[in-house]
Amino acid sequence: MVSRTIDGTKIESPLPLEIHDLTVAYRKTPVLYGIDLEIEPGQLVGIVGPNGAGKSTLIKACMGILPVSGGAVRIFGKPFSKAARRVGYVPQRESVDWDFPVTALDVVLMGRYGRLGLFQRPKATDREIARKCLDKVGMLSFEDRQISNLSGGQQQRVFLARALAQESDLYFMDEPFVGVDAATESAIITILQELRDMGKTLLVVHHDLATARTYFDSLILLNMRLVAYGKTEDVYTMDNLQRAYGGRLTILSDVAAVREEGK
Amino acid sequence: MIPDFNWDAVIYETWQFDPWGTFQIILMGFFVAGSCGLIGSFVVLRRMALMGDAISHSLLPGIAIAYLITGTRDASAMFIGGVIAGLLTVLLVEAIHRNSRVKVDAAMGITFSTFFAVGVILITAFADHVDLDADCVLYGEIILVPFDAPVRWFGVPLGPESVVQMGSVFLGLLVLIMLFYKELLVTTFDVGLARSLGLSPQVFHYGTMGVLSLVIVSAFEAVGAILVIAMLILPPATALLLARRLSHVLVWTVVLSALYAIIGYHLDVWLNATMAGTMVVVALLIFCVVWMSTLVCRRWGQHAAMEAMESVETLT
Amino acid sequence: MGVRVGKWLCLALLGGLVTPLAQAARIGEITQTNWQSQAIDFLTFSNPAVMHAIFGSLFLGTVCGLMGCFILVRKLALLGDTLSHAVLPGVALGFVWNMTKDPVAIFIGAVIAGLLGTVMTQLIRQTTILKEDTSLGLVLGGFYGIGIVLMRMVMNLEEGNKAGLDKFLFGQAAALSRGDVVVMGIIAVVTVLLVYLLYKELLVTSFDIAFARALGLPAQWIHYLVMILLAFAVVVALQAVGVVLVSAMLITPAAAAYLLTDRLSRMLLLAALFGAGAGLVGAFTSYLSTGLPTGPFMVLAATGIFIIAFFFGPRYGLVSRIMLKIMRQRRIQVENTLKAIFQVRERGGFKEEGVTLSDLAARRNVDGRVIEQEVRRLERGGFALIEAERLGILERSVFLTPRGWEQACKVVRNHRLWELYLTNAAKLQADHVHEDAEIIEHVLGDDIVMKLERRLDFPSRDPHGKLIPGQKDMERGFILSDEVNPVEVLP
Repeated sequence: MVSRTIDGTKIESPLPLEIHDLTVAYRKTPVLYGIDLEIEPGQLVGIVGPNGAGKSTLIKACMGILPVSGGAVRIFGKPFSKAARRVGYVPQRESVDWDFPVTALDVVLMGRYGRLGLFQRPKATDREIARKCLDKVGMLSFEDRQISNLSGGQQQRVFLARALAQESDLYFMDEPFVGVDAATESAIITILQELRDMGKTLLVVHHDLATARTYFDSLILLNMRLVAYGKTEDVYTMDNLQRAYGGRLTILSDVAAVREEGK
Repeated sequence: MIPDFNWDAVIYETWQFDPWGTFQIILMGFFVAGSCGLIGSFVVLRRMALMGDAISHSLLPGIAIAYLITGTRDASAMFIGGVIAGLLTVLLVEAIHRNSRVKVDAAMGITFSTFFAVGVILITAFADHVDLDADCVLYGEIILVPFDAPVRWFGVPLGPESVVQMGSVFLGLLVLIMLFYKELLVTTFDVGLARSLGLSPQVFHYGTMGVLSLVIVSAFEAVGAILVIAMLILPPATALLLARRLSHVLVWTVVLSALYAIIGYHLDVWLNATMAGTMVVVALLIFCVVWMSTLVCRRWGQHAAMEAMESVETLT
Repeated sequence: MGVRVGKWLCLALLGGLVTPLAQAARIGEITQTNWQSQAIDFLTFSNPAVMHAIFGSLFLGTVCGLMGCFILVRKLALLGDTLSHAVLPGVALGFVWNMTKDPVAIFIGAVIAGLLGTVMTQLIRQTTILKEDTSLGLVLGGFYGIGIVLMRMVMNLEEGNKAGLDKFLFGQAAALSRGDVVVMGIIAVVTVLLVYLLYKELLVTSFDIAFARALGLPAQWIHYLVMILLAFAVVVALQAVGVVLVSAMLITPAAAAYLLTDRLSRMLLLAALFGAGAGLVGAFTSYLSTGLPTGPFMVLAATGIFIIAFFFGPRYGLVSRIMLKIMRQRRIQVENTLKAIFQVRERGGFKEEGVTLSDLAARRNVDGRVIEQEVRRLERGGFALIEAERLGILERSVFLTPRGWEQACKVVRNHRLWELYLTNAAKLQADHVHEDAEIIEHVLGDDIVMKLERRLDFPSRDPHGKLIPGQKDMERGFILSDEVNPVEVLP
């Protein structure tokens, strides 16, 4: 629970994400084991760890995309199925069929489907919101392009716009910066920071340890178990990184060493 | 609908009446199932089941045209026709999916069904002129085998033409597999290793497809264009549930083929419904039996393992 | 959009009609029927069997076209094939139920068999080491074998032989009864309704199933629904197209539509139209040649439509793409010639208006015949004029029209701006930028040019010191003298 005092009145609201003893197994082999997390609202959280650490698995398990073997996940105090409307998602780009007959606008419009009932069609207001989100990521002029006719960075921006169109309070993003040019990367991180400033909570699986230090307020260090969670400057220590990455640190040793020196 | 079952009528009498003819029929079934099963093992292990389906359908117009041109059931003409059709299919599929958004599986589906449609029209339109009918296309007829003209080797009658033909295909396959066993093993399971050993996976891939076409054409008269896919997949699929090593899988395939032939023949005598069909039914039944047993054994094994663990826990 | 669809439909029907008609004539000879009177019979609906065939084909074509789209985008081609073969035992048993060709019994039997096959495939895949293609092929062949055996057993009976069960193998639209068509119509209406109502759920689960789950959509239920509708589609097409060829009717019209549009909604519409068209053509052709099965003709008609779309689709067709490529190459060549004319004039300080072809040929480094071709092309495009009087072609001069001048300036401007950009912003060496600019000069759009000019602060010269033509120069037309006045900068 998070309590705030507004106008002298104490208001308690549930945390955006509470994970208790989460275990996820794939065909008898555990991929995530005993994860406990409580995420406060209004944060930009990075999820880092070596390959196979279960980073994607963690967010997929939170959203019910992968089955949970043990433990519980609560989103704003409710199970995911009841809170889906408040959750936005940017999946990994590699699993998409680029030849699918959809335009950029069609993709962003999908973000509005969570708010529509079973037989309802998207309304004019939904289209307006979709176009606004496309504009926010700078892709409005591409709204009628079929998605294979976009560059990697442009595709990523369209998928970000889709998540924005969901108008959620909690966002899960799976490696949004992979295969993206520098200009797009900085544009995306700006948008994420704006969302954070608006009070949204964002959990981003990130592939690059070096930039993780500057991008995120808090870090989740993962290697099948939770290695560390907290403010970036507290978590990003040589000790923690060694524990998470085993012997696989290379330039990291230099990075952490420089930090230690700077203290 | 189901005819009466009578041990005498179904089993004893056929053997009494014409033991040699019966034996030939069962032998033919065995050769067909065995050949399909042997090459089918590699089709299944190389994940080429869709390809097998495509080839079996697309050979039809080739066979039909060869038929119509030569006016005979000459095997070599049919084989050439089939091969040409097969090659055309592969070329067209590549052409379609490389030059458009259409993916490989859809391209295959469009190509082979078009070819098959052409083949059906050819056969049904010109059927009265030659000795080939639509039923043959679909499910063949093995029972007529003993009435074939016999093949003579230096004056000694070996057996009916189709049996000898299919037998040679079967023996040829056995020889090929024995000769190239190691190469086939490596190119199927570990393409990287194959290359580093100096083998060319491409050669074996196209070789497999070529042999597959040969087997399908040979089996065409016995099982028809469509049931052949069942004969290709069911034996190895069952064998894979029973064994894990390639050599054992191949042995099981041959054993199962014998079972299909024997039981399938008698089932056909009882139901009077094309031996190819009954062989497939038998094959499916055996598969289900084996499948169920593996599931039960696994459950049993899990159950036993859990009980063992629990007893260990109570002890400690 | 409507015009385009109409155009395609006409083309498709035309193509689809001509080939079978020609063949029908030949077949008509063989089967000794008068195809003209049969055709009139068909077109004037004088025969109730014809009515049934027409409506049946329309229904089945629509349903197969719609569900075929989902097969394509959900990558279910082999599953569709398996489903269509697996229904055969159900058909045989459905017949056995009443010993007649009862459409409802056959429908139920076929759907149950089909779904059973699908479930079995899933189970095999989940519980054994066998992979997806193996389990599909296994069920396909195995169920089909059961179906064949059952069918033969049925046909061995007296009543069985008369029922025309063997027509189910290759299809016979003429055998459609009123009851059959009613069932087909109901299925068609249900399918169209469900696809329309659940369009967005179907779209998002087909495109991105992880996102669909994240939205909270019942992705698994949608999958089951698609399976059931697929089974329906197979059963609808069964009698007219036959068990073996149904999967072709499912894939081919949808594949043709796939090549013509960028949006799923339009693809669905086109596929339904193509399917219905192919169905009609197939039924018509088969009707003309009595005794021949309908299935193959419908498949060939559908393939004909696909071939037309594959080659002549406006955006993705092979012919269109090749033509676009040729046109683009032509345009580049025209621009290069224009640029050469500019450069020759520039070398002479823009004193001369005309450029001799020999100078131009030297500049372009090509021989006389090629340069004459290029210049004639410029003439045809209204970019230049060749003087007519002098004897040898190479001694004549070519003059740019205002339009040609403007275009030449644009190309030169693009080239030199890009070189400047590369040397300034990307810090490349001045002698490394030429080849890049040679390519880029043809593709820079006006908006990028504006951005470049702004970014480089409206430059007047490129890295080699040459002038960059501006708007005023283009308007000025033929006259541009370095001494008189350098390029004016746009505000």
